[in-house]
Amino acid sequence: MTDTTFFGVFLFIDVFVMGLLTSIAIRHAYAHFRPLKHDAKKSHLSAINDPLPAAVKEHLLKASQDQFQAMLNHSVDQLHHNLEDTSEQINNLIKRLATDVVSGELENYRSDLSKLHEQAEKDLGDIKKEVDGHQAELKVRLDQEIEAEKQQLIKQIDTKLADAVGSFLLETLQHNIDLGSQSSYLVEMLEEHKSDFTKEVADEAQSPR
Amino acid sequence: MKLNLQDSVYSPQDLKAIILEVRKYAHWAAQYTVKMRVSNDKSDQPPTISQTTTKIIKEWAEQNPLNEKSISELIASLEVLEATSPRITITLSAAPGSSLKKTLVMWCRENIDANILVDFLFNSTLLGGMVVRYGSHVYDWSFRRQILAARERFPEVLRRV
Repeated sequence: MTDTTFFGVFLFIDVFVMGLLTSIAIRHAYAHFRPLKHDAKKSHLSAINDPLPAAVKEHLLKASQDQFQAMLNHSVDQLHHNLEDTSEQINNLIKRLATDVVSGELENYRSDLSKLHEQAEKDLGDIKKEVDGHQAELKVRLDQEIEAEKQQLIKQIDTKLADAVGSFLLETLQHNIDLGSQSSYLVEMLEEHKSDFTKEVADEAQSPR
Repeated sequence: MKLNLQDSVYSPQDLKAIILEVRKYAHWAAQYTVKMRVSNDKSDQPPTISQTTTKIIKEWAEQNPLNEKSISELIASLEVLEATSPRITITLSAAPGSSLKKTLVMWCRENIDANILVDFLFNSTLLGGMVVRYGSHVYDWSFRRQILAARERFPEVLRRV
């Protein structure tokens, strides 16, 4: 901000100086290129009042004109030189300022870009972490559901298989029954549950018919 | 006099048949007595009754005079026996043979009650074993029951094969 203000003041002063020099140059140029009326009037008056001979006057006038021309040329050269220097300085200053401004802006841009990049990376990292967590949770849940479904299917298959085997055995065996070979088994079962019958008899004896 | 049922009389139907035959005999005996009193005709033959009933009447006659009153007492005793004897129902997977019946009846009479009446039924879907109903309890010792109870283990057994 300070550089910009200084640059503005400097430009203003330069413009003022250039304006001043330009007006002086225009005034001298005007006096040089339009000397007839003014100088003629003056010379006429001086011819009346001045006793100098015309040749001397002509010589003096010529000398004055040459000197004035030389001074004017010198002033123009100097002004041209100053203008070139000033222009060069201004260009250099503008270049430097532009470079500084651009460098600063670029630095700010890089800094902002770096911050944005870091923020984006951080956000991406958080998002990735969250996605990974969610993915792991989903995987666990999916595994659990698959396992439960698997167990359910196994159970259903086992039930159907058990029903099939049971039905097969029931259907197959009921056509070939041999009670004779079961006689000992039947008595054995009765013996095994003899105490139940005895208890039943005792209960019946206690209860009124 | 307390009657003891013979081994051949094991079911309620057997006992009911004997009671009917004894009644039939009592009816014939009453008519025969009246006929004897009127005409002294002995040509009338007693009705055909089973050997078991004949044996029961003979055993009863050994300890009681065989008259109308005595036979009525026999019928009453048999009816009391029918009403009071414990009953057991045995369902087998096929119609049981006489030896199996005898074995089971003997076991019941030796271990449960001397005058127990055994009802035999059969159901081929039992596959084997038996279902015993006694009093308020049903004991299912059939093969079908065992197969159905063990069917949960079939897949496990098949997986090991």
